Parts: sequence; C-alpha cells; structure tokens
Amino acid sequence: MNPSFKLILIILISFEISFTRSLTANCVLIAVCLIYLMIHKIKLKTLGIVLLIPVIPAVALSITIAFFTPAQDYHFALVLFSRMFAYVLLGTSFTLINSPIELARSLEQNLHLPSKFAYGSLAAFGVLPKMKSTILTLQKAALMRGITLSYWSPKLYFKALLIAMNWSDELAQAMLSHGYVEDTTRTYAATIPIKSTDWAYMIVPILIIQPLLFLLP
Amino acid sequence: MSSIDIQNLNFNYQPNSTTLSDVNVQFEIGQFYLLVGPSGSGKSTLLKILTGLLPEFGGEIANGTFSIPNQLKVGLVFQNPNHQFTLDTPRHELEFVLENLRVDPELMPAKINSALAFCEIESLIDRQLNTLSGGEKQKVALAIVIAMERDIILLDEPFASIDPQSRAELIAKLVTLRDQQQKTIIIADHDLLGYKQVVDHVYTIHNQTIQTLSREDGLQLLTDFEKQVPAITSTLPIANLEVAFNFDELQIQIQQHALLSQSSLQIPSGKVTLITGENGIGKSTLFLSMAKLMKFSGEIQMNQTNIQKIKAKKYAREVALIFQDSENQFLTVTMREEIELSKQHRKSDYFNDAMITSCLTQLNLNELLDQVVYTLSEGQKKKLQILLMLIVEPEVLLLDEPLKGLDIDSIHQIVTILNAYRAEHQQTIVMISHQFSGLNQFVDYHLNFANQKLTYVETVS
Repeated sequence: MNPSFKLILIILISFEISFTRSLTANCVLIAVCLIYLMIHKIKLKTLGIVLLIPVIPAVALSITIAFFTPAQDYHFALVLFSRMFAYVLLGTSFTLINSPIELARSLEQNLHLPSKFAYGSLAAFGVLPKMKSTILTLQKAALMRGITLSYWSPKLYFKALLIAMNWSDELAQAMLSHGYVEDTTRTYAATIPIKSTDWAYMIVPILIIQPLLFLLP
Repeated sequence: MSSIDIQNLNFNYQPNSTTLSDVNVQFEIGQFYLLVGPSGSGKSTLLKILTGLLPEFGGEIANGTFSIPNQLKVGLVFQNPNHQFTLDTPRHELEFVLENLRVDPELMPAKINSALAFCEIESLIDRQLNTLSGGEKQKVALAIVIAMERDIILLDEPFASIDPQSRAELIAKLVTLRDQQQKTIIIADHDLLGYKQVVDHVYTIHNQTIQTLSREDGLQLLTDFEKQVPAITSTLPIANLEVAFNFDELQIQIQQHALLSQSSLQIPSGKVTLITGENGIGKSTLFLSMAKLMKFSGEIQMNQTNIQKIKAKKYAREVALIFQDSENQFLTVTMREEIELSKQHRKSDYFNDAMITSCLTQLNLNELLDQVVYTLSEGQKKKLQILLMLIVEPEVLLLDEPLKGLDIDSIHQIVTILNAYRAEHQQTIVMISHQFSGLNQFVDYHLNFANQKLTYVETVS
C-alpha cells in the first residue's frame, strides 16, 4: 500500500477513535492490527515489547475513570484502556512495515510536500538510533573520567542536546555539499505509484469502521 | 579563465580572530595540488570556502574575492567521515545525490555502480552507513564525489583512516581522473607519503596565509618528509613478559559478520603495541570490546582478571578508550571546562596545573581555552582529547587512530608527552594507526589484524 495513503488512513482512524466511545470498534481494530502484523511476520519479542508500552498508562487511566470519578463509568474505562492499545498497534503497523525512505519519497512525490520536510523527517528517523548509541557512549566517556552520568542526569541530556544541535548543522552542510538545493525540482530514483488499489485500501477500511464506531457500543 | 583565483582573501570565524589573511593564490584547472600545514592552520576553512559551505555556515569573508571558472562544479570530501551523509545506506545516499542533480532515473544504477566500482566498494552498497568503519565511510564519500562528476575535487585529509594500500590505490585513481578527465584535485594532508611522483604543485599554509612552493621546493619538502619516516622496528614479544591483556577463545562479531576469532593472545603490560589492518577489518570494534562497550564471546582478562567481573566504574578508570571520533570524548562546552572536568579525577599530582599549562603550550592549544570544543579543528580536537584522557591517568590507554588530523610536529609533541608520562608511570598503550610518521622509537610491538586473527609481526614498513 502507498505509504502516504497508509499514513492518512492511520491518522484518520486514530483521530476518530479519540472522539468516539465504541469498545467494539477498538477491539476490532486491535484484532485487525494484530493479524496484519502477524501476516507481515513481526517478531514475537518486538510485539511483546510494543504491547508492554501502553500497559501502565492504560491501567492507570482506566482505574482512575472506573473508581475515582463521580460517574464510575466502567464502560468508558474499558474504552480508554483499549484505545491505548489501538493507538500503539496502529502506529506499529505503520512504522514496522514501511521503510522511512519509502515514506519520505511518497510524501515528496504523492503528497507534494516540500522535499526539505520529507528529508528532514527522514533524518529525524535516522537520529533516533544514533541518539541511543550516543547516550551510551557519553555515559562511558564520562565514566572513563570518573563521572557517573545516570539516565536521569540533566548533564547527560544537556550534552545530548548540544550534540543534536551540532548534528543539525552538520546535516545541513552534508545535504548542501551533496547537491541539495531547497525548492528546486529533483528527479526520483524510485517512483512511488498511486494505484487504484491504494484508494480502495484506504477508503474501504474507513467505510467499514464508521458503522462500528457509531452504531456499536 | 582557466584557474581558481583567490585574491586578498581574509576570513574570520569571529570578528576579532582571523583564520585566513591576505590569501593570494591560483589553482590551475586540471592540476593536482597538495595543501600542507599544521593542525588548525586553516586548510579545512579554505576548502569549505571554495565549496561555498563557508561563510554560509558561519564566519565571514572580511575582504577579498575568489572566483571559479564558469560552469565548473566543486565537490568536497569532508575531513570527518561522520559528518557527510544524509541517508542510511550508500545506495540511498547516492540516489539522493543523483536526484538532487536531476539525473535521469534510468541512468542512476549505472552511475552508482561505476562510482562504487571506482572506489572498489561495491560490496558496501546496502550496508548501514553507521556500521561502516571510518575508512570505509571515506571511500563512500569519495564515490559520491565521483558520481557527482565534479570538475574540481577537494579532499580534506581523506586518507587519515585509510589503510596504506587503499591509500596508494586511491591516489593513483585521483591521478587517473586528472589525466583522463582533466579534473582538478586539491588535497589537504599531513601525511605526505606517496605524493612525490604525482602532484603538480605543493602549497603550504602557515601563519594564516598560503605560500606556493616552486616545483623544486615542493619536491624537496616531500623528499624530506619521506626521509623522516624510517621504517618502524618492532620485535616479537619475548616470553615471560608481564601481561596486561589476555584473550581466551575471543570471538567478536557485528551483525552475524565474524570479525575476530582468536584462541589465545597476550598483550604486554607497560609497552606500546600497535595494531594495523585493512579498513573495516574490525580494529575499532576490538577496542570497543576491550573497553566493554560491546558484547563478545570468550574471555578477555586484564591483569589475570576476567574483565566482565570487574565493575564498570572501576574498569573505566583503568582502561580508557580514545575514540576515533574526538567529539565522543567531550562532555562540556569549552576547552577550559573540559580540562577542569578531567582535573577533578586525577589520580596523582603528575598533571598539576603547571604541567597541564606546559602540555597545552606544547600542543599549541594554550590560546584556545575559551573556545567551544566543537569549533576546534579536527587536529586540535584530537590533541585536546588525548590530553584530557591522559590527565585522568588510566592504567591502559586504547588509542584509536590518535594521529588523525595531526601534523608531524603535533605528533612529535604528543609522543613526547606520552613518553614523559610513561617514564614515571608504567602505562600500557594499545594503538590503532594507519600512519607511522613520528612513531619510530615509540612502538614496542606490532600486531597485524587479518583474516580474523591478530598476529605479532617483526617490522612495519
């Protein structure tokens, strides 16, 4: 499926479930996402980690709604609980299966977003793993000079911020020296097509989800 | 006009500090130039001005002009290999570059393949750039400039992390570009080996300005340098030496790709051991394992203790890794703050204030104390980095390409400081280097890394 269409689909659905209270719809979404991820052979370990992320906020939020609000609305508590998992699984279905470069190319070619935006977000994707390894290196570098920087040390993040700022400057220089000029036409190494099936894949799920959201409890 | 023409050029990063002053020089099209000068003398600055990155990204041209002949395009290979890529793999980066130049997509695969073939790195095409070694990244950077078909190719110490054989091959290829395609090549380098037969002109940069050497003087400079670099002599370690590190069935791999498989090896204590080997063979990864920054199987023992059983904090104080990329070592903002930080955890009074000041003066860093560390030149960063880690007095120093970006005088100063310290304290040094200039009488033993094995050899050429 075209990455931009998929992104739009996921944003639309997430937006809709934020404003509706259908437990059934949430459960259906969770089930569909799980099947989709299984079909694409997600590693069970990754899936486990993904499912652990929303546990604490989901439990905390539903307990608050169920027991500590005047209404004590158990249904709404369950809706919020399932909504958290729906968000995380929708997001995972998108990020684990599409490559960032495909998305950037699609945003540039299909949605005609400025290439600066497309490649900027791509660079941001790239920075995440780099940031992680930089923080580990920083901690080790500090330790070698007798300083323990814990994960909650502001010094660690101040330094990480400094490095990130430096990176953005270096990235701009790298892009410029590799011939990138803002707002000029570029050719495309790979064309990301919009097929009629892409339209179908986007519109059909949206149509199916509407009755679920508005008619079922 | 058939030359790059620089007239009365003055450049400064800050209003009251001049980096280049009154530069008057010409670079003729289709010639091969070598730019020589001490660390921090302005070589990178000049190359970045010619590429248009400066003053766009800082500083200002206070006076003067430069002109590049019509239609000719300039490409730059950066000094720091970590600073020049936007995307994740060589294929994607090359595609990005060709898209920017509006190349027809149908022609792209052929251009990409031929640029990679030129640098002999076809196998790296789909590797993640952040898993490549420093030398491999430099080759990718060069392949990109080749794919861009730049007429003027500027290279800022491109070979600092490249093994001697690849270096010789790449220089030969640059010569081919000059001879067959009339490209202009300008290389800034400290290691002057291998240029004598090929360069057309040698320019020196000193006291903020550039001097053009006559052909004879240029050749003389290169000949003198070659004489200064005698073969390093090393012996095989004798039995009964005190052992700092012992490897036992050590296996190191990176993403299922086996790098080292060593059943047994001893590294002597209190000595300097040099490790050499081709780019990407696993030298830096070995250091990361020895510094406990990376997983491995088997055992590494330090002073007869398994390093996995030594607490991270204690181990880090005993074994210091000098990272290949200096910026990884810095924790604060200015040079003064960095030095203060190292001073807090000194083990003895060897590096007292007077000693530190004298080292800073020796390394030509004494006037830069308030400068932000990121704005130092690569060579200055390297010198500061080594000093910072020496002040905390680790028992073992793992030096990953400590000579990168350093001129021969700076190398001598570093070696002098290290030797003076080692005369009083038994420090073990293990070091990775592709350059040997200035290392004679410093290195005791030499390990060659090839075919997933480390082997002691008797001499380095």
